[in-house]
Amino acid sequence: MPSIIRIVNLTKKFGNLVAVDHLNLEIEEGEIFGLLGPNGAGKTTAILMLSTVIRPTEGTAFVGEYNIQKNPDKARGLFGIAFQEPKMLWVSTPWDIVNWHAKVCGLSTEERKRRVREVMQALDMWDYRRKNVHALSGGMRKRVEIAKVLIQRPKIAIVDEPTAQIDVVGKHKIWKMLREFRNEGSTIILATNELYEADMLSDRVGIMHKGKLLVCDTPKQLKDSIIGGDIVEIQLENDSPLVVEELKKFKEVVNVLQVKSSNLRVYLNRAEEVVPKIMNMLMKKDVSISSIRITEPSLDDVFVHYTGLTIEEAQKTGA
Amino acid sequence: MVERDIRLFFQYKFLIIIRAIWFISQIVLFGLIASRMISTDAVQDYFRYYVAGLSVMTLYSAAIFIGFDIYEEAEHGVFEYLLSLPVSRRQLVLGRSIGGGLRAFIYVGPLIGISLYVLGSVNPLSFLVSLFALFLFSFGVSGMSITIAVIIKSSDRFDILMGVLDALIVRLSTVMYPLAVVQTANPLYGGVASFNPITYAADLFRWGTGIEAIITLDNPLMPLLGIIAFFAFFTFVGVTIYDRRIEGGGWQ
Repeated sequence: MPSIIRIVNLTKKFGNLVAVDHLNLEIEEGEIFGLLGPNGAGKTTAILMLSTVIRPTEGTAFVGEYNIQKNPDKARGLFGIAFQEPKMLWVSTPWDIVNWHAKVCGLSTEERKRRVREVMQALDMWDYRRKNVHALSGGMRKRVEIAKVLIQRPKIAIVDEPTAQIDVVGKHKIWKMLREFRNEGSTIILATNELYEADMLSDRVGIMHKGKLLVCDTPKQLKDSIIGGDIVEIQLENDSPLVVEELKKFKEVVNVLQVKSSNLRVYLNRAEEVVPKIMNMLMKKDVSISSIRITEPSLDDVFVHYTGLTIEEAQKTGA
Repeated sequence: MVERDIRLFFQYKFLIIIRAIWFISQIVLFGLIASRMISTDAVQDYFRYYVAGLSVMTLYSAAIFIGFDIYEEAEHGVFEYLLSLPVSRRQLVLGRSIGGGLRAFIYVGPLIGISLYVLGSVNPLSFLVSLFALFLFSFGVSGMSITIAVIIKSSDRFDILMGVLDALIVRLSTVMYPLAVVQTANPLYGGVASFNPITYAADLFRWGTGIEAIITLDNPLMPLLGIIAFFAFFTFVGVTIYDRRIEGGGWQ
């Protein structure tokens, strides 16, 4: 897929604080790109620069054919944003907010009415459409925010922590709608600090930390990039001292730990490819197995691998 | 933008009702009572004079209100949202300026109706010209309010400054007293009042409602040009300053 966004040395400084530090990144058309990082990593600032809400201190980005510094109005026209914090005046009602948003985005009256109704119903907001925003729960306000983008259907949608404060059923609905939206050809930038969400939704993930992009790849590649990241726990029926040496012969195996005499923990790469080979080897050696369990690394492990901190620790230190 | 600002304004029902009560109280209490002790060569019927000036004063305060909206939007992060919309900055600011002016005008419309009832019959053509002038005046005040709000960046300071401005430019105008009286009190005051858009608006409204005999309006074209200049200046300056101050997160 060709790139729809090309970010070149994008930097934002607030006084001495470098919120985004020479960010270089390409986002492909039609993908869900997960921008992952703790609060304060620079995700929101990067998004605000990209969507021309704030000006970069240095660098630029090309959105479609438009340079955000030279043609901000044209570039902005390609975006739709669901902000992290719902942006609305509390005297407004959800219907007012989404309907006006649809109008500003140029939807015809008929199309607007249809989409507003469809999306509000899909997000279980229809019954609350005439209530003042201040009377709504945090989750419901968040739904109003995401509804704006789903109604607008922009070429590039930016969703900043789209399911924060939303219940599990609501999360799954929103994920489903975002996937459908991507499948219709839109590009989605998903900024989140929820690793599971990024893993579930993203075609590719970029991890940001302290304003810098540390790594960027598909979730699978990122997990595979952790050497010995997969763990296979094998419970043998009997002791078999030779098995450890045999396992170490596989080039993907990084380490083998004998937890108990018949209980082995194997640290390896690409477990899904190697486990069948291990099974064959054990069968040939006539070694009986009572159980086998594969644990893949999560994006949490990837984050720890690249930053030396868990995302919670990074959040606490404000990094 | 225009529609949004109008819709938003009319959601402040409490404010609207209170302002309307204030307006009527000013007429039936202050206007009626104060007019009994004021009778000069310059103003024979102070009650009618005051009612016309009060309409302009109310229009001014309603048009100023957009500045407070800007702070409220900044506080709730709505600014970021507005800046992310697929519209040009120029459209955004002009929309706000027009929205702020138009909603003030719509709000004051019924109050002007009350004024007309009090003031009596009018010459339709003159009245339409004066209405058009009030329209531009309202946009100009709205642009001025936006400009000051984005420069000051503090709602408390804005509130205080608007109070001071109100005390200065409303009092140094012909809203409540004729220019000749202001001139007599202090020639400097008279000088300021002669170049005051509120004076122009008040004079034109009185001319439009047929009570020009009691004001010092030689030629309605001059105040009309003054109002056009005021409108054009603050619409242009408002757009430019709003654009410069908010772009790059300058509102934060």
